[in-house]
Amino acid sequence: MEFFLEQILNGLVYGVLLFLTAAGLSLIFGLMNVVSLAHGSFFMMGGYVAYSLYRLTGSFWAALLLAPVPIVAAGVAMEVIFLRPLYRRGHLDQVLLTFGFTFIFLDAVQTIWGRDVLALPPPAVFDGVVALGTGVFSSYRLFLIGFGLAIALLLWLFLDRSQLGARVRAGVDDAAMAGGLGCNISALFTAIFGAGVALAALGGVAAGPIFGIYPGEDAEILIPAFIVIVVGGMGSLRGAFVGSLLIGEADTFGNAYMPQLALFLIYLVMAIVLLVRPQGLFGIKHGLAASPSGSTPAAPLPSRRALAIGLIGVAALVIYPLLVADYQRSLVTELLIFAIVAMSLDLLLGFTGLMSLGHAAFFGLGAYVVIVLGTFFDFNAWFGVALGIGAAALAALVIGYFCVRASGIPFLMLTLAFSQLVYSVALKWRDVTGGSDGIGLAVKPSLFGFTLSNSLTMYFVALFFFVLCFLGLRRLVSSPLGRVFIGIRENEARMLAIGYATRRYKLASFTIGGAVAGLAGGLYAVFNGFISPDAVYWSASGDILIMVMLGGAGTLLGPVFGAAAFLLMKNLVSTYSEHWLAIIGVVFVACVLFFPGGFWGTLRQVRIMTREKVPA
Amino acid sequence: MAGARAGPKLPGRLRMLELDGIHTYYGDSHVLRGVSLSVGAGEVVCLLGRNGAGKTTTILTAMGYVKPRTGRIAYRARNITALRPFEIARLGVGYVPQERGIFPSLTVVENLTVFARGTRRGRWTLPRIFALFPVLEARVGHLGFQLSGGEQQMLSIARALMLNPTLLLLDEPSEGLAPMILQQIVTAIKSLRNEGLAILLVEQNLRTALALGDRHHVLNKGEICYTGSSAELGGNDTVLRDYLSV
Ligand SMILES: Nc1ncnc2c1ncn2[C@@H]1O[C@H](COP(=O)(O)OP(=O)(O)OP(=O)(O)O)[C@@H](O)[C@H]1O
Ligand SMILES: [Mg+2]
Repeated sequence: MEFFLEQILNGLVYGVLLFLTAAGLSLIFGLMNVVSLAHGSFFMMGGYVAYSLYRLTGSFWAALLLAPVPIVAAGVAMEVIFLRPLYRRGHLDQVLLTFGFTFIFLDAVQTIWGRDVLALPPPAVFDGVVALGTGVFSSYRLFLIGFGLAIALLLWLFLDRSQLGARVRAGVDDAAMAGGLGCNISALFTAIFGAGVALAALGGVAAGPIFGIYPGEDAEILIPAFIVIVVGGMGSLRGAFVGSLLIGEADTFGNAYMPQLALFLIYLVMAIVLLVRPQGLFGIKHGLAASPSGSTPAAPLPSRRALAIGLIGVAALVIYPLLVADYQRSLVTELLIFAIVAMSLDLLLGFTGLMSLGHAAFFGLGAYVVIVLGTFFDFNAWFGVALGIGAAALAALVIGYFCVRASGIPFLMLTLAFSQLVYSVALKWRDVTGGSDGIGLAVKPSLFGFTLSNSLTMYFVALFFFVLCFLGLRRLVSSPLGRVFIGIRENEARMLAIGYATRRYKLASFTIGGAVAGLAGGLYAVFNGFISPDAVYWSASGDILIMVMLGGAGTLLGPVFGAAAFLLMKNLVSTYSEHWLAIIGVVFVACVLFFPGGFWGTLRQVRIMTREKVPA
Repeated sequence: MAGARAGPKLPGRLRMLELDGIHTYYGDSHVLRGVSLSVGAGEVVCLLGRNGAGKTTTILTAMGYVKPRTGRIAYRARNITALRPFEIARLGVGYVPQERGIFPSLTVVENLTVFARGTRRGRWTLPRIFALFPVLEARVGHLGFQLSGGEQQMLSIARALMLNPTLLLLDEPSEGLAPMILQQIVTAIKSLRNEGLAILLVEQNLRTALALGDRHHVLNKGEICYTGSSAELGGNDTVLRDYLSV
């Protein structure tokens, strides 16, 4: 009985922390339709700043009160300077921008505080235990529960009873209308953004004495907070509250009573809610967003010229490896493999308008299948690749089944959440996946007697599959099915109205994209002989996304160049600088600010500008 | 009403709203093609025209939601072309959109008070609103989404009045209303006119327009193709047939 009660309280502790993060996220989304992936970073930075403040002042309370101040300043600066100019653009730009900031913030934290787990002691008053039946319970945890519930109550009073709160609700209902009645929406939004950041930072401080402070906390809180929002309903404070407690309890009880399945439990809760109420428990049913993609797809090249350029490109790719050293050759092999992944994501993103931030999961799945089967059952690698494709397709089918019930930002949150599930499995199923150390093949696979350690063979294998995927996908996007995908991207409501079951088509696109990513993963496993959970971490999904965006979504060739540019840059930078993370973050931000539409889009823009005479 | 065709020449302060040579685009499509009109103090000016003629776009442009590519908008002789909607609202322009824009999760009272301005010195207070639209008083505690279409329309007008505006932009207040409700709204607008509130009224219903308007502009494909008083418009069968399909 005591154990049961203790679990309830522990669930509340986690739930309260989730609430502090999710409340701000939910309001920010509700008010401006903006999603900030950096929200978890503010949580994490709150902990770090509090740690330094504690070292400085010796007082937990001073740390708790003061830590949010610089974090809010950083958050508001990010909102005003970078995010605000993007409101008129699509969600994707906001996602990429704030994603870029997560890298920058993480690098800053690691540079200043290092990578170790830091401990923040609880305040002296609560540094003990209280009796709980025959057992005891940490008094700091009890305090935290009270603190979180008190903040929830204050927030509710503010929103429900105050004039300003009514303005926020009005803004959530209809921001444009509120503007027409004299409400300065952008000022209001900045205030709410700041308040949301403050809550997250407070959560980060409060979590310190229990969980410690460490890099990676950002994703660890952000992703369950996304799940909370999906479960509770976007833009609803009540939803965030109920969702937080539900997820907090589910996770805690899962860990206590069935640790093997605990990982899946919150996903199970989420899946059930999605099936029963796709808009979340307290969500309002939203219409379909008009145009989710932030980028205008570029026009394809005229086909004759495209053919010529394509042949020249392939010829160059055939001759190139014969002229260079092993290192360059394997670099290009890797480029070709990632070009396949990037194209597969572009099928979702650029052609179907599905913003997936979990694509690395399918890539990783393909790779793990090859290596795990190769290691434990001595499977032929090529058979493994085929099975990997099947596994990725199946996973995409199952995950997609739930995700396509949402669109826009909720879709993105769901794909991210599910991919994090794959990551967690890769991390925790040690016996099979090798955990965080990863797993490698003992023997290099071979093809028709050529061992693939010979990088020339591997290169041509990758080139073959790259050309195959390119032609296949190109065929697909110009087929009737592809035209339906594009129709959904342009205007899902219209496609629905003229009789297409858009969910099924979105699922088809998602599954095909997943399968192709699985193929790339399998090739990568054969090529690299090793895979670790890093390959399925959310930042890996972000990498793929940035490849697509760099090149230009909605063109097949764009992502190929995007992948090449990204990997070359990564190679170059990581040999010269330790601050790879910050630099990649800056690249994300710069890409959004200066290359809307990617290289391809920018190229087209330049072409239009130079062709057009002075407009009348 | 002298000089209905050109609009009255009034001292700057009394020219409540002036649109001058407005060209508005949505992307590449050229929707308003040189619209000029003015609303004087205490005047009700109607904007008529078929579906898609550009009436709403004219209102949205005046309100600052959509920026004209060329042309000038002035409120009481002050150039407001570059201002944002909230700034224009704060100057004293009340906006009632075609789709009413009621905040669904706010109660009727909250809808009325949330952005109310100048209620202490101004004319409009909750009691006066309830005197104008008694139905709303019976519904004070209801949430916005629980109201009927007619109630939403009244609430939307009332909410704009709570800003104590000097100019009201009304976009098709009669659209889709039952005759009895329509009558209440027409009566209310008449009493607003009698109090001297300047109104730019978009109206598809000719009878309502003729009953309420001092002057009428007929829009066709983004251009004002006819301007006249109620008597002139009512008697001009060509315009009625060609541009209003009456
Ligand atoms: N957001 C938009 N983007 C592109 N075109 C638009 C947009 N809004 C309106 N239009 C087009 O501009 C034209 C004028 O529209 P507007 O809404 O101003 O007409 P209206 O006179 O108010 O019509 P109604 O009587 O139906 O309300 C129409 O052809 C319409 O299709
Ligand atoms: Mg209209």
